[in-house]
Amino acid sequence: MTDEEKLAEHVRVVREGHGANCSSIGSVIDTLFVAQVAAGAIFVAVAAALAKSESETETATKTESASETETEDP
Amino acid sequence: MRHRVETWGAWVRLDDPPALVALDRAGARALGIDLDRAPHDGPLEAHVAVTSQCGVGCEGCYLDARPDGAHVPRDVLEKTLDDLAARGVFTVAFGGGEPILRDDLGELAECARARGLTAVLTTSGIGMTKAKADSLRAFAQVNVSYDGEGDVYRAVRAFPGASAAERAMTLLRDAGVPFGVNVVLTKQSFPSLDATLARARELGAREAQLLRYKPAGRAAKLDYVDKRLSREQVAALGETLRELSCKLQPFGFRIRIDCAMVALLADALYDRADDLERLGVFGCEAGAKLAAVRADGRVAPCSFLEPSAQAAPHGTTAPCDTCALARVCRGGCKAVARFLVGHDAPDPECPRVVRAEAARGA
Repeated sequence: MTDEEKLAEHVRVVREGHGANCSSIGSVIDTLFVAQVAAGAIFVAVAAALAKSESETETATKTESASETETEDP
Repeated sequence: MRHRVETWGAWVRLDDPPALVALDRAGARALGIDLDRAPHDGPLEAHVAVTSQCGVGCEGCYLDARPDGAHVPRDVLEKTLDDLAARGVFTVAFGGGEPILRDDLGELAECARARGLTAVLTTSGIGMTKAKADSLRAFAQVNVSYDGEGDVYRAVRAFPGASAAERAMTLLRDAGVPFGVNVVLTKQSFPSLDATLARARELGAREAQLLRYKPAGRAAKLDYVDKRLSREQVAALGETLRELSCKLQPFGFRIRIDCAMVALLADALYDRADDLERLGVFGCEAGAKLAAVRADGRVAPCSFLEPSAQAAPHGTTAPCDTCALARVCRGGCKAVARFLVGHDAPDPECPRVVRAEAARGA
């Protein structure tokens, strides 16, 4: 099992997209009706994107730390 | 990656692809989220009326917006955005009245973004200019109200606004602003839904949000029953959505429904409660995941309920108590039940409720 698949097991709900209606909450419904698209696949895709975002955040933090270290200890 | 801690884990906002993701505690920890922080109690999404002014006069306006309405002062809106951000809200949907009557919408979107909020907007499109469209680029998405072409639009709103909406879509497309359409489903607009979505896609829309017609504001009158979907149309809704989804999803055109529509799909999705839940398709969200800030500053559970309204869960009485969808449907739309029944009750337009009432009458 890949890391993305492991993380996907911890995904409880995915609300796709930006609802842009100002009167009631909207939810993407087409996935339910299109047989080729499985919710599980969406969860894995989302988990992969989350892992990537997390990794980018971590990289940014590490870079900041490194730069702080350099400043503190030239 | 913006997130908020919940007792069960965390909500995480993903920008690419855009999504709100609920992770359990182990999943949240795996992403490095500190679960020791106090959980948030705010809604996920807030609707903020930035003006009560609108010169169009839609027959079914749920807020009774008028030409002599007023814009909400900018400092008041910025305070509202501060409050929403502090409560952990992810998305703020600006509406009105007609929001594009304001000249500072782009700046408001930037204010929201600066607070970590995703800003979206709903407009009739009337009064849209190239300069206005260009100023809306800070919005994650703009939705244009578009119930159909020509006479279909006029039948729903009682004025000829389709061409203005189409022109606005063209301007938004040319400005590079992501946009979709809001389509109110009535007895008159439903037969043309296929053509309406095809036209919207042709003009550059990337999604359609289908809205149930609700008896609130100027629509809370007796002709509501003549405008709402017929029982035959409600029965055909599931198959219609399936056909449209299969037809349009390959083009990347998405279809949404609003929370009030879930009850109407009780037959079509009866065995899909788990899928609905996983994909975040829920019924009544009033006062829980959703809050609506009126132009006068009062906060309502949703745009269709009065600010004084309680939003206690319903859907626990028959026939909801034996319905497999009850945990996601939550009893259906309170605005409809309060208008037709007089109090919170199982949604009177849900096909299961209609059959139960008929059986009880018999």
